[in-house]
Amino acid sequence: MYYLITLLVYGAVDAIACLGLSQQFGVGGVTNFGFIIFQAAGAYVAAILALPPDTANGGFQLYIGGWNLPFPLPWLGAALAGALLALPFTFLVGRRLRGDFAAIGLLVTAVLANLLVTNYRPLFNGDAGLAIVPAPLQSGVFATTSSTYQWLFVVAAVVLAAGVYWFVRRLTESPYGRTLRAMRDNDKVADSLGKNLLSLRTGMLVLGGAIAALSGGVLVTFISVWSPAAWSYAETIVLFAAVIIGGRGDHRGAVLGAILVPVGFEEVTRLITNANPSLPPNLLPSLQWVAIGLLIALFLWLRPQGILPERKRVIAVPARAAPAAGAAADQAAAHGDLLAAGGHRLPAPGDAPAVPAEPGPRARARARAARPAGPEPDVVLQAVDVRRHFGGVQAVAGVSLSVRRGTLTGLIGPNGAGKSTLLAMLAGTDRVSSGRVLYQGQDITAVPAFRRARMGLVRTFQLASEFKRLTVMENLLAGAPGNRGDSFLGAVAGRRYWGQDETAAIAAATATLSRFGLDALANEYAGDLSGGQRRLVEIMRALMADPDVLLLDEPMAGVHPELARRIGDSLVGLCREGMTIVMVEHELAIMDEFCDPVIVMAEGAVLAEGTMAELRAREEVVEAYLVG
Amino acid sequence: MSILLASVGFGLITSAVLAIAAVGFTLQFAVTDVLNLAFAAVMTAGAFVAYWINQRGVSVWIGLVVAMAACSVISVLLNLAVYSPFQRRGSSPITIVIVSLGMALIIEFGVQAIVGGVDVSYTMGQGRAFHAGGLILTTVQLVIIAISLVVMAGVHVLLRYTKLGKAMRATAANRTLARNCGIRTSRVIALTWALTGALGGLAGTVFAIDIGSFGPTSTDLFLVLILAAVFLGGPGHAYGAILGAALIGLSTEISAAYIQPDYKYVIAFVALLAMLAVRPAGLLGARA
Repeated sequence: MYYLITLLVYGAVDAIACLGLSQQFGVGGVTNFGFIIFQAAGAYVAAILALPPDTANGGFQLYIGGWNLPFPLPWLGAALAGALLALPFTFLVGRRLRGDFAAIGLLVTAVLANLLVTNYRPLFNGDAGLAIVPAPLQSGVFATTSSTYQWLFVVAAVVLAAGVYWFVRRLTESPYGRTLRAMRDNDKVADSLGKNLLSLRTGMLVLGGAIAALSGGVLVTFISVWSPAAWSYAETIVLFAAVIIGGRGDHRGAVLGAILVPVGFEEVTRLITNANPSLPPNLLPSLQWVAIGLLIALFLWLRPQGILPERKRVIAVPARAAPAAGAAADQAAAHGDLLAAGGHRLPAPGDAPAVPAEPGPRARARARAARPAGPEPDVVLQAVDVRRHFGGVQAVAGVSLSVRRGTLTGLIGPNGAGKSTLLAMLAGTDRVSSGRVLYQGQDITAVPAFRRARMGLVRTFQLASEFKRLTVMENLLAGAPGNRGDSFLGAVAGRRYWGQDETAAIAAATATLSRFGLDALANEYAGDLSGGQRRLVEIMRALMADPDVLLLDEPMAGVHPELARRIGDSLVGLCREGMTIVMVEHELAIMDEFCDPVIVMAEGAVLAEGTMAELRAREEVVEAYLVG
Repeated sequence: MSILLASVGFGLITSAVLAIAAVGFTLQFAVTDVLNLAFAAVMTAGAFVAYWINQRGVSVWIGLVVAMAACSVISVLLNLAVYSPFQRRGSSPITIVIVSLGMALIIEFGVQAIVGGVDVSYTMGQGRAFHAGGLILTTVQLVIIAISLVVMAGVHVLLRYTKLGKAMRATAANRTLARNCGIRTSRVIALTWALTGALGGLAGTVFAIDIGSFGPTSTDLFLVLILAAVFLGGPGHAYGAILGAALIGLSTEISAAYIQPDYKYVIAFVALLAMLAVRPAGLLGARA
């Protein structure tokens, strides 16, 4: 009986810890190999809050604190301690550091923390650890040894686990959760779409830390002891194994993993030990670890998504307005033939728009702004003697250019000319070695990419950069700014708080999908699409970010020429509505038809600027690049 | 003063052992982009292979050679059967690090399952003790330092002057480009793992010789030192690893003379986190 109670409490505690890890790692993509020290911190803090001063009980243990606080303060204090402990480590999860390097920093911290606590006895009684930790409500109605009390504890632990589950699900099923998953799938792109990676990851560290610490607090008040042996760095690996096996990204998977791995393992080991009492004492624990290592490798190879994989979020696409009858439908059918092979069709020029789009605030501002009648349109983006070198190589050697509002500027040049590097520096996804970038008159050289995106300067990427494990609709929604649910507190406030913003964003996304003819694919995983379709998703997602200036890096690469022309038409239409677009491209026919002006780069510098006709006439341009 | 000199002596030997390990680890990362956290476990396996040989009455130095061969094989297999397939599939670096942790568990606790949990030591003489001022080093320690210097010189010659070394540097810099230039990158990678595996076996054995009494989990803390040395010098840079090993080895041992010896690893820890925070490319790494 007591055995069952212990099993249930351990199950609940492990479930809470795994839910914290699932949120931090599975949803947020933050790999914390020091996860166990947060559980340990929670256990120690709960213990020293609940224990009397260390002089009590004959003074056989030495520890800080000892304030004999009543329940539920030890548990609350534990969670708070876990949250605070995360803060010093936020420097590890900024934009600059590779994820695997950061994970190693945390692993090392776990090893050292264990060493320090073991050796510095006055802190938490060193190697021997803490004992006689009072159980909650010890002096209350029930004797803590009575089975009634024990069962009450079980109920409390399970209810707490359910509460944690409810909380992390609430977070994950919100726009904030979607942003986290986008960051997990491709942090560089999320950054370029206006997501503050440092703030998001700090949130995940703190939240995961608090949840882990809470699990530690619950555990220590049940088993009443806690020592460094309980939290070696390898215990983190057990929790990772649980989340990987059970299914990361789906919180039910985390709970399943908690039941299978920490609890299941112990049970199987116990059964084997009971059946074979003559085995050498440390053989089974060693084999346990070997088994965990094997399971991790096998699952990551065979079924990386785990037993219960992350569910696809299917978002109902609002019904289309009744299609225009007769002639437009025939026209559409004719065009449909042409593009049937591509698996999608763009609306023919005569189609009525499916769902009226609620334009973003910047789009509305552009519509409102009077078109300048006489004088030249103003310069909206400027590079002033921008340079970029990598070691000895000068990728961009002093480029100065001005982009005027409402233009569709082309940027061409041979491979290695520095076009993509220049684009990256304008967007902020790469830093300048020297020079300045000005946006709408302001010097933004030091402004990080995510802030530039929020200011209306958005870029797309040359290589595959969709959020693979998000659907097409989710990809687009991830690009949309201004959703009240896209923050921690907003997510906690719930659907009633952010529902309206979400509906508006879905409507805008649906309209954009219709405009580019991909509405049938709205609920497909973006990673499953063809190359051309993924390019479209990239462009649409950037448009959802409501840009004033859009920087496109080879948007037509791998796209059917007819579709490319349609995209070009759409882009021209956007420029007519006041957007400014700079497009790096290789397809000269596109430049001919759509871009004015066109800038030619070669070997890191600007060679010439003008219309394609003018450029073709210039000898140095022809030599450097154009082959007829 | 003599305490300081004695700790310098400890620092030299620790740096020597650490340099061998750090160079092996960093070259694995340089050429294959894998942070092989199982490296310390491979060291352990090497130490115990040498122990097994030593228990049969053979000199531990011969055991050392056998350990190098064994760890070479283990490392090549590790890459062939585990890391390479994951990389070919396009797994993210973090997935591969998690896999390497799994491998570390398998190897380290596999060894523990076989040999049990008791600490053992080699049967060997320590040789004379040489005094120089307060500096005291035994013959064995001097031999280890000499081995380490030979290894470092060998790595230098390898990387600088041999075709394989140049191929390794090219593969490390840009694998696709190296392949397009006609370099058999898969062979270079296999050879790298063989070489660095041997270094791991060597490091494990001299580590075990140095600390005297060792068990299957003795290298856990040493991994922290390896990581600190590697990241201090710059991950992927062999010369950086050597520099990092010298700095970490000396600073931890010298600090042990002044603060409680149990806390000497704190310096390595602080150095590692500081480098990650401020200059992840390391002291010798290029600023991005």
